[in-house]
Amino acid sequence: MSTSQIRINYDLNQVVVKNKIKGLWRLMTGYHWHYGGAALSLGISAAAKTTTYLLIRYFVDQYLLAKSSTVSLPLVAAGFVMLAVVEGSFAFLSGRLAAETAEGTTRRLRNYIYDHLQHLTFTYHDKMQTGELIQRSTSDVDALRRFFADQAIGIGRIFILFIINFGMLLSINVRLAFLSIIVVPIVVLTSIWFFKRVSKAYEKYQEQDAVISTTLQENLSGVRVVKAFARQEYEINKFEKENWDKYLRGKKLNLMHSLFWPISDIVCGAQMLTGYFIGALFAINGTISIGSYLAYAGILVWIIWPLRNLGRLIVQLSTGMVSFGRVLEIIKQNREPLDNGSASIPDRLKGEIRFENVGFQYDEGEKVLEEINFVVKPGQVIALLGSTGSGKTSLVNLLPRFYEYTSGRILLDGVELKDYPRRYLRSQIGIVEQEPFLFSRSIRENITYGVEKKVEQHEIEEAASASAVHDVINSFTEKYKTLVGEKGVTLSGGQKQRVAIARTLLKDPRILILDDSTSSVDTETESEIRDALTRLMQDRTTFIIAHRIQSIMDADQILVMDKGRIVQHGKHQELMAEGGIYREIYEIQTRIEQELVKEIANV
Amino acid sequence: MSDDYFEEEDFQTKFSGHTLRRILSLTRPHIKWVIGFLVAIAVVSALDSYFTFLSKRVIDEGIVAKNVVALRQILTTYGLLLVVQAGFVFVFIYLASVLGERIRYDLRKTLFNHLQKLSLSYYSRTPVGWIMSRVTSDTERVSELVTWGLLDMTWGFMNIITAMIFMLIISWKLALIVFIALPILFVVAIQFRKRILTQFRLVRKLNSKITGAFNENITGVRVIKALVREKGNLTEFSVLTGDMYKASYRAAWLSALFLPTVQIISAFALGAVVWVGGLQSDFGIITIGGIQAFISYVTFMLWPIQDIARVFAEMQHSMASAERIFSLVDSVPEVKDREDAFPTNTIFGDIEFEHVSFSYEDNVPVLEDLSLKIRKGETIALVGPTGGGKTTIVNLLCRFYEPKQGVIRINGTDYTKLSLHSIQSKIGIVLQTPHLFSGTIRENLRYGRLDATDAEIEEAAKVAGAHNFILKMPKNYEEQVGEGGNLLSVGQKQLISLARAVLAKPEIFVMDEATSSVDTLTEALIQKGMDVLMKQTTSFVIAHRLSTIKRANRILVIENGRIAEMGSHSELLKKGGKYYRLYTKQFRAQMEQEFDPFADKINPQTLPLAGD
Repeated sequence: MSTSQIRINYDLNQVVVKNKIKGLWRLMTGYHWHYGGAALSLGISAAAKTTTYLLIRYFVDQYLLAKSSTVSLPLVAAGFVMLAVVEGSFAFLSGRLAAETAEGTTRRLRNYIYDHLQHLTFTYHDKMQTGELIQRSTSDVDALRRFFADQAIGIGRIFILFIINFGMLLSINVRLAFLSIIVVPIVVLTSIWFFKRVSKAYEKYQEQDAVISTTLQENLSGVRVVKAFARQEYEINKFEKENWDKYLRGKKLNLMHSLFWPISDIVCGAQMLTGYFIGALFAINGTISIGSYLAYAGILVWIIWPLRNLGRLIVQLSTGMVSFGRVLEIIKQNREPLDNGSASIPDRLKGEIRFENVGFQYDEGEKVLEEINFVVKPGQVIALLGSTGSGKTSLVNLLPRFYEYTSGRILLDGVELKDYPRRYLRSQIGIVEQEPFLFSRSIRENITYGVEKKVEQHEIEEAASASAVHDVINSFTEKYKTLVGEKGVTLSGGQKQRVAIARTLLKDPRILILDDSTSSVDTETESEIRDALTRLMQDRTTFIIAHRIQSIMDADQILVMDKGRIVQHGKHQELMAEGGIYREIYEIQTRIEQELVKEIANV
Repeated sequence: MSDDYFEEEDFQTKFSGHTLRRILSLTRPHIKWVIGFLVAIAVVSALDSYFTFLSKRVIDEGIVAKNVVALRQILTTYGLLLVVQAGFVFVFIYLASVLGERIRYDLRKTLFNHLQKLSLSYYSRTPVGWIMSRVTSDTERVSELVTWGLLDMTWGFMNIITAMIFMLIISWKLALIVFIALPILFVVAIQFRKRILTQFRLVRKLNSKITGAFNENITGVRVIKALVREKGNLTEFSVLTGDMYKASYRAAWLSALFLPTVQIISAFALGAVVWVGGLQSDFGIITIGGIQAFISYVTFMLWPIQDIARVFAEMQHSMASAERIFSLVDSVPEVKDREDAFPTNTIFGDIEFEHVSFSYEDNVPVLEDLSLKIRKGETIALVGPTGGGKTTIVNLLCRFYEPKQGVIRINGTDYTKLSLHSIQSKIGIVLQTPHLFSGTIRENLRYGRLDATDAEIEEAAKVAGAHNFILKMPKNYEEQVGEGGNLLSVGQKQLISLARAVLAKPEIFVMDEATSSVDTLTEALIQKGMDVLMKQTTSFVIAHRLSTIKRANRILVIENGRIAEMGSHSELLKKGGKYYRLYTKQFRAQMEQEFDPFADKINPQTLPLAGD
C-alpha cells in the first residue's frame, strides 16, 4: 500500500491494543513522519528564537561594547530578520504538519466509526442508546483531535522550549542556570493541582448549564400548559433560581482563576527577579558579560512562563485519554460480515423458503421463537397473525439475517440461509414497515436509496405512480427534489409508507416483508395503499405481518403465533373450520359489526 | 436529544453604532464593575510596559554603571510593583469574568421573562431550537464582547500606547521606526483573523452536519442494513469528512501562519531598530539597556495586536448575535391585556362565539363565520378530521389567540375586555401529548394550584385516578418524572396531567384526548376523572373515544372551519351523515383494539360491548 492509501484505508481495528499509548500511535499510522516533522520543526523554531538572544549577546558584547565586531551592522540587523524568518517558517511548518496529522487522523477515524456503526449487528444497536453513540462519535472524536492538534504538541512544545533554553542557560553559567529553575517543580505541580480542581468546578458549571437548557426547553415546548395555568410568574421564578445558581457557580469558577493567575504571577515573578538580581551581580563582577546577561534575561522568560500552562495541558490530556477509551469501546466491537458465505449465487432466486425446527433467542434471556416449521412456495403470500411480542417480527427478522437463528435450519431455494452472504440476501429482500424511516434528503433520493446503479427519472416516476404517491409528490413546489423532514415537508404516515413502497419497487426484491398494520391511516389512503401493495406483491414471495383478518383472508398460508410458537397454520377456510384462536378473532370482527348495527338501531 | 439537532446558522451583520450602543448599555447597571476592571487592566498593562523600562534601568544604571545599590533599589521597586500588579490582575480577572457571568445571567433573565409574555402565535412560527440558540449561544457571545472583548481592547491599546510612550522617552527616532510598522501589523492581523474566523465557522457548520449524519446513520441503521446502503452511505459521508478535513486543515494552518507572519514583520522593525540603534549608540543617543528595551517592546507587541485583531474580527458576529437577541426582546405579544382590561371573578357562564373568523399567519382561513352558544356547565365534544379547526376553536376559547373578526363573549362580556390572567387562571387543560416538567410527581401536580396542600394534591390525584399508581412508585409522590416526564408511561402522564387540571379547580375545562391507546384500566381511570371535571365545569373535549363523545351534551362536527353538524349523539346518528360515518369507523377501530384476543383471550360471547 502506498502512503496515501494507508492514510485512508488503514484498518483501525489494529488500534485495539492493551497499551493505550501504542493504540494512539497506531491511530496516527501514515502520519508518523508528519508528527515527527512537527516536533522537529518545533525544535528548530525554538532554537532559532534562542539564537536570537545569542545574537543580541553578540551584538551588545562585540559590537556595542568591545567595538571589535568583524561583522557589519547591516549584517547583524539582517541576522535578526533571518532568525525571525527561520523561527516563523518552522513554527508554521510545525503547525501545519501537526494539523495535517490531527485532521487526517480524525477524518479517517470519523469515516471508520461511521462505517463501523452501520456494520455492527442489530443486537449491538438494540442495547446502545443513540445519544450515547452520537456523543462518542462526535465529542469524543473531537477530544482526540484536540489531543493530537493541541495537547500532545503543546506539551512537546513546552518541553522542547525548556530543554533548549535551559541548555542555553547552562552554556551561559551553570550556577545561574540552576538558580533560575528553583520554582519550576512548584509551578508545575500547583498548576496541575489547580487545573484538576478547575476542571471539576467547570464540570459543575456545565451541569448547571444543562439544567438551564432543560428548564428552558421544557418551558418552550410546554408553552400551552404554562399559559393555560397562567403560571408565567412561577416559571420565571423557577428559571431565576437555576439561572442564579449558574451565576454563582460561574462566580466560584472565576474566583479560582482570578486567584491562580496573580499568585502564580508572583511566584514566577519572584523567580525572575531573583534571576535578574544574581545575573546582574554576575555581570557586574564580570562572571558573565553584559550581552550574556541580556540573553539570559530574555531566555528566562521563555522558560518560566510557559510552564504555567503545563498543568492545563496535562489535565486535558487525561480527558483525551478517557475519550480514546470510549471510542475504543465502539471500535472493538465485531463487524457483521456482509460478504461471507459459501453458497453459489443463483441467477434468479426462486423464493422458496423452508423453516425446519427453527428456534431463536438473544444472547441472554428467554426463547423468542421455538419449533417453527413451515414451507413457503415461490410467489406465495404468507401471513403472520399474533399480538405484539408473539414473535412475528423476530421471525421475519431472521430472513435478512438481521439476527441469526440459534437452532434448526432455514432453507432458501434448498440452501441453508447461513451460507448466503448477507449482502446478497438483503438485496433480495424488500421490507415495507408500517412507519417507514425516511432520510432527511430529497424524495428522489429516498426512493432511489436502495439502488446502487443510476436510476432514470422516468423509472422513479413509474415506481411512484405504482405506489400512488406520484400525484402527492407533484403537488409539492419542488416536486421530487423536495426535502423530507424538518427542513422540507412533513409527510403523513400514509405518504411515508407509499414512498417506502416506491423505494421497494425500485429495489425489485424476490422476497417481500410487509408490516401491515394500517391503523393510523385514514380510509381513502388505506385503499390506495392496499392497491399499491397488491402491485408490489405480484410475483414475489411475501410475508405479511398482520393485525386484522380482513387484510389476510386471501393469503396462501396463515400462521397464527403466540408466545414464540405457531399455534395455528393453514388457509382461512381451514382455520375457520378448525376453531381456536383464529376463529375467535374472526368472530370478534363480525360481532363488532353486529353490535354496531344494534347500537345504531337503538338510538 | 437524538432528534433535536438544530443546525446552527451563521449570521454576520454590518457594523451599526446603534446596536453597539445598545450592547454597551447592557453594562449600565454594573457600570462600577466595568470602570473597575478597565482601570485595573489599564494599570496592569501600564505596569507591564514599565517593567520593561525597569529592565532597561537594571542594565543601564545597575550593570553598565556597576552600581549594586541602584540595582538593588530598582529590583526592589520591580518586586513591589509586581505584587501590586498581581493585585490588579486579581481585580480585573475577577471583575471581568464575574461581570461576564452576570451579563449572561441578565440576558437570559430578560429573554426568558419576555418569552413568557409572548403569544402562542410567536411560538408557532418560531422553532424551539432557534429560541434556544438565542438564549444559550447568543447571550454567550454578547457578554463575551462587553467583558473580555472590551478588556482585551483596553489592554491592547493601553499596552501599545504605554509602550509607545516609553519608547519615545528612550529614543524618539527609533520609536518612529516602530510606529511605521504598527499600522501594517494591524491590517495584516485583522485580515488574518477574519479569514481564520470564517474557516472556523465553516468548521462549526460542517461539524453540525456530521453530527446530523451520525444521528441519521444510527437511528436509521435498520433501514440502511435492509437496503444494503452501507457503501453508498460511506461514500457520501467521506465527502462530508473530506470537506471537514479541508476546512479545519485550512483553519489550522491559517492560524499557524498568523503569528509567524506578524513576527516576521515585527522582526523587520527589530532589525531596523538594531541597525539604526547600533549607529546611534556611537553617538551615545541610545544605551544598551535602551536597545534591549526596544527589542522587548517590539517582541511583546505581538500579543496586544493579536488580541485587538481577534476582537475586531469577532465583533461583527457578536453584533449579529446581539441583533437577534434584541429582535426577540423587541417583539410584541399579539395577545395582551387592553389598557382598560379588568379582571373577572368567574368565567363559569354562558359562552358565545359570534361570527368568529380566524386565520394564522399564512392568512389561510381556518375558521369562517362561526357562531355558537354554549350554556353554562355544558359539555361539548368536538370531532372531525385533522386540520378542520377543532384545535383552533379551543385555542380561541383559551384566548391563546384572539378572533380576527367577530366576538367571543363570556357571560355576555367580550372577553378581550377582561384581563388575560383572570381568564387563563380559571381554565384547566389536558393536552393530547401531556406535558410534564422535570421534577417530582408532587411538583408537577402542584403546578395546577401553587398553594395546594399535600392533602389536596393527593385528593386531586385520587379523583383523577392517579393515586394508586403513584403509590406503587418507589418514592411515590416524590418520584422524579424525568425530562418532559419521559420516565413515565403515556397513560401515567395523562393521569397526572388530569389530576393537575382537577387540582386547578377550573371553571372551563379543555381536553384534547390522546389518540394513542392506553391500557383499559388507565382508560377507565381517565374517563372517571374526566367525569368529575365535566360535572363542575363548562367543558370542551376534542374527542377520540366513543364513550367521551357519547357523554357530551352536544357534539360538533367541525370540518373546513365550519360546523358541519351539531346535535346530540342520537340525533346525529339518526341523521346518517358525517357523524354517522365517523362514528362507525371509530367504533370498529376501538372495539378491535379493546378486544385483542391475544391479550387475555376473552370469549367473544361475553364481551361487554357498548355496555352503557
